Amino acid sequence: MILEVLSAGLIISACLAIFLDEAVYSVAALAGTFIFTALLYALSDALFVAIFQFAMGTGTLAVLFLSGEMLSEKPTKKTPRRNLLLLIAVGVLLSLPAIFLSISGPTSVLSEISFGEALWNLRALDVVLQGLVIMTVALGIVIVLHEKKNGEK
Amino acid sequence: MDYVILSLILLAIGIYGLLTKRHLLKVFVSVELIATAATLNFVMLAPSLGKGLGEAFLILAFSTDTCVSAVILALLVIVHKKYGTSDIGELVKMERGKEEREGNA
Repeated sequence: MILEVLSAGLIISACLAIFLDEAVYSVAALAGTFIFTALLYALSDALFVAIFQFAMGTGTLAVLFLSGEMLSEKPTKKTPRRNLLLLIAVGVLLSLPAIFLSISGPTSVLSEISFGEALWNLRALDVVLQGLVIMTVALGIVIVLHEKKNGEK
Repeated sequence: MDYVILSLILLAIGIYGLLTKRHLLKVFVSVELIATAATLNFVMLAPSLGKGLGEAFLILAFSTDTCVSAVILALLVIVHKKYGTSDIGELVKMERGKEEREGNA
């Protein structure tokens, strides 16, 4: 039952994130989407992923709140309460197929590999390469900012 | 409860937002929703391929997604600084006006 409630909440918050007029409210609804997704992962025995989702969502939302406040103009009129209720109703309606329908898919577990084993034995090269790319980008940003600072002096 | 349908609905909402919204921040929110739909599929279909492998892929997908978010936000700030607006329609109008002025000159 709790998974169904979470999935309905996920769809409703996604609808609100797209359709609300003011950018800050939209970002707040996106925060709801991230929280519901992390809870769904945690309840589906994917705890590592839930923690990663939560951490990544927190960082993204912090930056989004700042840029949303900075970049968006205040709307002249507020969203009427009726539209808000309509959006929530649409979200509930959209979440019904996910709750009541089902598609038969692959369910058999081919090989049970632990998370650590998969990450370090099978995808080690990807992890190292991504680390390298992110480090290069960080160094590049530092160099560009340093050059800019020197240029201003 | 079917997670494939759930992620399909999320994907549909994201694509709708991407196609219809004109504010750049909303476009970014739509991209985030599409990424969330993709990661939801990764996690929920992971047991059929060996649970750990799906989650390991997901961690890599998260870091890529974060990099994409950083680049989009940087572009958003640059565009707003340069043109003073985040509305795609207004940006297109400005560019067209600029091209017309250059054509007349």
